[in-house]
Amino acid sequence: MRLLKLNIQLFAHHKGQGSTSNGRDSIGRRLGAKRADGEFITAGSIIYRQRGTKIFPGTNVRRGNDDTLYSTIDGIVKYERLGRDKKQASVYSVAE
Amino acid sequence: MIKVKVEKKDTYYTKVNILGHAMYDDFGKDIVCSAVSSIVTTTVNGIISLDKDSLVYTVSKEGMSIKINSNDRTTQVLIRNMINLLKELENDYKEYIQIN
Repeated sequence: MRLLKLNIQLFAHHKGQGSTSNGRDSIGRRLGAKRADGEFITAGSIIYRQRGTKIFPGTNVRRGNDDTLYSTIDGIVKYERLGRDKKQASVYSVAE
Repeated sequence: MIKVKVEKKDTYYTKVNILGHAMYDDFGKDIVCSAVSSIVTTTVNGIISLDKDSLVYTVSKEGMSIKINSNDRTTQVLIRNMINLLKELENDYKEYIQIN
């Protein structure tokens, strides 16, 4: 009788039969810009969907309670720098 | 679950069947299976090293069967030690190994 080779998974079920308790995910929230720079927008329209303030509200723009940015006037959207490392979205009326 | 079936004749161990899978965790991470494999392999190899005719083992997908040919003291003590260790393991991992 020859010696037994040590296989420390001899009594384990074989590869690929494992189960996992992962594999769940929520549906994508379609965040991000809804209007481009230089685009005409009407009052109340959404400019940017976000979590937290990736983009800050600028001129004529306000932030909803889910951090969504929306315009308060009809006008043209402008994405601008805010300080050293931040961005803001503003809306300027066509006459300005 | 790993099922260990021990057969005796008078006071001597004659056969030990270790069948099934522990199913404690995925392949490669199953510590119960690893413990059982190590305990059994150490015992079988120890006995064979002393006397290669003392026992005969067969390994299959279902598990392992050990037929004990010798009633000598060393073989019987090593088998009893193996069974005691497997029973200790059963105390801590009842859902994964069962000895009868």
